[in-house]
Amino acid sequence: MNLAFLLAVMLAAVDRPVIDLSGGRIQPLPLAIAKPLGSQETGTAIEAVLAQDFERSGLFRLLDPASFLAPPDEGMTGIDYSKWVTVGAQALIKASCDASPDVNCEMRLYDVARGQELLHGTYTAPRPALRLAAHRFGDDVVRFFTREPGVFQTRIAWVRESETGKQVMVSDWDGFGVQPLTGASINLLPSWSPDGRMIAFTSFREGGGAHLYTVDVASRQVRSLIGLGDFSTGASYSPDGSRLLFSASQNDNTDVYVAQADGSGARRITEARGIDISASWSPDGKRVAFVSERAGTPQIYTMAADGSDVRRITFQGNYNQEPAWSPKGDLIAFSGRDEHRVFDLYTVAVDTGKVTRLTQNQGTNEKPAWAPNGRYLLFSSTRSGKRQVWMSQPDGSNQRQVTSEKTGAADPAWGPLPGK
Amino acid sequence: MIGSAPPSLLAPRGRMPALPAVALAIALHVGVFAAAFVLPRLFDRRPPPRKPIIAHLVALGRPRDPRLLPRKESPPPSAASRPVPVPSTAAAPSTAPPKREPSRSELMQRALARAAGKADTEAREPPDPERAGSASGSVEGTAATAEEGDAYFTAVHDAILEHYVVPSVISERERLYLAASVLAWIGPDGRILRYEFQKKSGNGFFDQALELAIQKTRLPPPPADLVRSLRDNGVLLNFRP
Repeated sequence: MNLAFLLAVMLAAVDRPVIDLSGGRIQPLPLAIAKPLGSQETGTAIEAVLAQDFERSGLFRLLDPASFLAPPDEGMTGIDYSKWVTVGAQALIKASCDASPDVNCEMRLYDVARGQELLHGTYTAPRPALRLAAHRFGDDVVRFFTREPGVFQTRIAWVRESETGKQVMVSDWDGFGVQPLTGASINLLPSWSPDGRMIAFTSFREGGGAHLYTVDVASRQVRSLIGLGDFSTGASYSPDGSRLLFSASQNDNTDVYVAQADGSGARRITEARGIDISASWSPDGKRVAFVSERAGTPQIYTMAADGSDVRRITFQGNYNQEPAWSPKGDLIAFSGRDEHRVFDLYTVAVDTGKVTRLTQNQGTNEKPAWAPNGRYLLFSSTRSGKRQVWMSQPDGSNQRQVTSEKTGAADPAWGPLPGK
Repeated sequence: MIGSAPPSLLAPRGRMPALPAVALAIALHVGVFAAAFVLPRLFDRRPPPRKPIIAHLVALGRPRDPRLLPRKESPPPSAASRPVPVPSTAAAPSTAPPKREPSRSELMQRALARAAGKADTEAREPPDPERAGSASGSVEGTAATAEEGDAYFTAVHDAILEHYVVPSVISERERLYLAASVLAWIGPDGRILRYEFQKKSGNGFFDQALELAIQKTRLPPPPADLVRSLRDNGVLLNFRP
């Protein structure tokens, strides 16, 4: 007994070196999508949508199918995981679709290292909604890993620019399924209602200046919303959908106003001289970010939703505009003009005021808009010639083109998560 | 003559008094425990310093006007940015002798010259004219801590860090709280003999990434005075994202 105690004491006395490691590289998870089983027509289409979703998400690195060692007819069970480990996969996706007229696919996610199934579901959709079935499984995979909702089923709104006018359009998050919502008068600055049913926008459609309208996304019915002062612009729905922020010009002074979601009860909440514009809600609906010229140059400010407690947020640069408060609340994205007189995207940390640059030397980049899960930003960029809608991650990485409009696209707005 | 018989060895003797016996037992135990604590310190070297050398490198240059919006740090020049001559199959056969491969000493001299800043200026990438920095270098020099450091443990740190990848599927929020500890035993040839988790993070993919990093890491052989300690006791690796 004494001996055992002595050993324990001696073991406790072992003093080993300790090395602290932090700052590992953040890299996408290596993911293999196996050749689909069953109906090849459906399976291949599903596989293509999944691959694009995962690739664009920046969360996964897709492995080249040409490198796969597992036989193409390997089933959904009895998987030889060692063959997937050898090609570097950490996660594996398998799909099996039947040949029915509608989409009916069984899709599974596996943890390759542990050799276990992580997700399993049957996804069905009418044939025209094939992409949606793939997006649904993709979102389930994202939620499994990140414990946050994915955005593959979301839609975005933006403005198609042409010589004859500007038209509000909607598409899937990845730019597929483009549909017009308005005619081609001058329509700008779309903003989704939190339930995704309505889009408010600024339009010159009735002459006599810009005013606010809504369009029903399903029926495309346009309705006048607010026509206050010389012009009203830049509507933004509160997170609970009950109120609207917008800017209006009366007596040569542009200020921020708040109104009920139906446009009634408009009330001015800024009173400084000079322009106050581009208001954006904080995710809890208690504060508002906006642009003000009260200090001589356009800068980003925040204030309480009733207009009190105004705080200046940006102090660098002399032309900062278009604030967009992140759904996570920690960052405000904006576009700013640098010393070369080029607009680029930045974020400012709400707590510390630290400004981070997201774009540089890639044309003009403007109008940031957050994804509802806060993992991505949409913006417009002229880097590829005509202005197009692009997306990136909040640190500026993984920038990808979303629209490919011959005549240009701008003013993106990201719609809500499905089921909101 | 009647002699007295020698006392039997089996005959009972006088018993030792209880108090000295207890005192002796206590003294012996104290001695054993003291030896357990002291002897390892006498025979083993002092445990090696644990602090890796941390050097703050800063870009030398004109400080950026704090009133301006920040710039992104310019990425390192890519290999593709330098024009690469394309070999032409139609080229006339050259009469020049084939180019001689540089010798080992020539390569070494070139490397030294490059390190000393004497390399051919044409081979250098043009500096980014807008790259901002500090004219005087770091004011937070860490030479003092470097003295406490140890080259081998810095090498271990750097070698593991090279393969230390955090999957981006782990949310930023979760990254704030993740931590794991792995005990690794290192052989005399630098091979990681075995490893085991002392504490898992709770996120399987993070732990998996750590295992992969350890499996991929190749370490240099430890110095002679560390061989026994690293082989028998190992090194504790504390990971945070």
